[in-house]
Amino acid sequence: MNLELTDEQVALRDTVRRYLSEKASVTTHVRPMLDDPMGTTREVWAGLAALGATGVLVPQEYGGSAMTMVEAGVVAEELGAALHPGPWLSSAVAATRALTRLVTPEDGALLLTGIADGSTVATVGPLTGPRPTAEGRVVRGDVAALPDAAVAGVVLVLAEDGRGTGLFAIDATSAGVSVTERTHVDQTRKLFDATFDDVPAQRLASPSADDIGGLVDDVLIAYAADALGAATAVMNLAVDYAKVRRQFDQPIGSFQAVQHLCVDMYETVELARSGVLHALWAADAAPPERHLAAVRAKAFAGQLATVADTAIQVFGGIGYTWEHDAHLYLKRLLGWSAFLGGSDKYLQEVGRQLAMAVSS
Amino acid sequence: MDFSYPPEVEQFRKELRAWLAANLTDDVVAAGRRRGRDPDTFETLRVWDATLADAGWAPVSWPQAYGGRGATVLEQLAYAEETTDARAPVPLNVIGMNNIAPAIMQYGTDAQKLELLPRMVRADDIWCQGMSEPEAGSDLASLRTRAVLDGDDYVVNGQKIWTSLGHRADWCQLYVRTDPDAPKHTGISCLIVDMALPGIEVRPLVTLNGDADFAEVFFNDVRVPADALLGPLNGGWQVATTTLSHERAGAARLYAQLEVQLRDLVADLADCEVDGRPVLEDSATLRRLGEVAVRIKYLEVLCQRSISATLHGGNALGSASLAKSVWAEVGQELAALAFDVLGPLGGHRRWSDRRLTSRSLTIAGGTTQINKSVTATRVLGLPRR
Repeated sequence: MNLELTDEQVALRDTVRRYLSEKASVTTHVRPMLDDPMGTTREVWAGLAALGATGVLVPQEYGGSAMTMVEAGVVAEELGAALHPGPWLSSAVAATRALTRLVTPEDGALLLTGIADGSTVATVGPLTGPRPTAEGRVVRGDVAALPDAAVAGVVLVLAEDGRGTGLFAIDATSAGVSVTERTHVDQTRKLFDATFDDVPAQRLASPSADDIGGLVDDVLIAYAADALGAATAVMNLAVDYAKVRRQFDQPIGSFQAVQHLCVDMYETVELARSGVLHALWAADAAPPERHLAAVRAKAFAGQLATVADTAIQVFGGIGYTWEHDAHLYLKRLLGWSAFLGGSDKYLQEVGRQLAMAVSS
Repeated sequence: MDFSYPPEVEQFRKELRAWLAANLTDDVVAAGRRRGRDPDTFETLRVWDATLADAGWAPVSWPQAYGGRGATVLEQLAYAEETTDARAPVPLNVIGMNNIAPAIMQYGTDAQKLELLPRMVRADDIWCQGMSEPEAGSDLASLRTRAVLDGDDYVVNGQKIWTSLGHRADWCQLYVRTDPDAPKHTGISCLIVDMALPGIEVRPLVTLNGDADFAEVFFNDVRVPADALLGPLNGGWQVATTTLSHERAGAARLYAQLEVQLRDLVADLADCEVDGRPVLEDSATLRRLGEVAVRIKYLEVLCQRSISATLHGGNALGSASLAKSVWAEVGQELAALAFDVLGPLGGHRRWSDRRLTSRSLTIAGGTTQINKSVTATRVLGLPRR
């Protein structure tokens, strides 16, 4: 029983934090990228790769650092705190885990090497819902809400063919690939509707439903860590503001009504942190606990978003403006809340699992 | 990062589980549910507490000299999980063991420690704590009960209220004002008072669900021997805060208790139908169960984080007091859910009772609002007014 970060994990956190504040802050990077479908620049992405952030989950023989989801979570939390709009979750978690979980090392080697050194950006879809079909070496059909499709050079598609479900690699520049950006609540995350019109594809693996479930769990857990970072950041901004903003000749943070709003945020953030820590650990160290941990994290997403709502209430009018960053955090948290289905569905799933566990 | 318990703790857990399986009877569990509200179950619980103590299974965290076994923090955690899971009754002297004993260990004489502590654990003596007064609730330091030295005795006058077990107690850890001219926190002392002394009058207070859980205690020229002083004269606030910080260390029972309640609730719901459909297929009910279940699991991890921080030098950041607020709120949500579903069906006395008694969760031991104000200033660093 030791839930503290190691010195190495703290060093990783500090390195990523420093890099983002110097090279990719909300003002200098996130806001300019709000309307850019690429989400990040070549320069910022190369910088993240140089820190090891894109290869955190990649095995060492392919240039990664072969760390666990706990370290990935450390990185995700910092990216969320900085509202980073790049394709890290897609490439460094979803695609990397698809390749390490579902694909043999030989078949994944080239892509993993590119992901680790930042030269390849990959994305995966669809994680849930209807899948395209494949015939021989060709994929056809639609993938809705595919993240980071504009910046990705490689799309890993789960498609159905005569042998069941396959994982296919598609070169995103191939003829027959068309992507349309989807407007959604969170402009710091780029989502696309993709259509594959008889696109050449390489069949990499035949994943089982359990394999795919494990992949979805990993993505949910990493995304939850990102959201935790965003919630922590907006809470800190609001608490700092309450210490200096004066009304009635005193800091507003001296009023109990405001203090209790701040503690409500703190309580929600610390509960979420508890869930995220457990889920990050379970992802690699306790597979039987992983799925429920991921479902819980998603079920808590709606509650976590209230942290940004409350922060805006603490800021008052200024928090309601475009100019202020608070809305960007709210949107990041609402994006997480809406990802792969709303909180209600996941709350019911937790209830259902509990009912099954007690009856057995 | 590692959430698992080391093998020696699992061994400890196994031994305890085996002992509980062999010794904890249904009668004792039933008596625990009633919390000793009638004389028969009170006697059953006394015998159980003594059985537990004689077997060395209470209070595990204490030094052996006072009847404990010097258990490590993780063993204490496992102890709380296992005893709660087995539905073993909470000890009659839970307040004494958690809140009073630590102060006796720190400030008491050797004679006091050896005479009082083992009897407390066996429930040979019942203990109460005289803190709150009609005019000193959340603002505890404004208490007015006076103690004036007269020869070899303190003469005590005043009134205490919300005194748990006041009507059953043999001993009272009493907080009194000994220096009326000092600032309010510095004029308080702590006395250990024999409840049989002349001039003490106890009136049970009936709670909202009809039980006499606590009492008002009146002190009318009660002569308490001067050697009953615990800790320094006018140092009672120090003694009180020692006890309060010990109370927070027992966070493990918080989540374990809610986990058991949740399992019991789901088991009761499994037999129920509303409008011809099983309740456990109703999406609104499943959603609320999910909400409670997620928060209970996160409370568990919050408590574990607090313990990990103590063990490994991390920053607990007030997670123990946060845990108390969360426990109280989730306990009320669970009770509300139980009543909303089972209440209309009738016949579920336990849950309608729980719906009522859960009101106390956000009041007893410090209101959630006071707790939040303390967290705001001490943890978040917000300015005081």
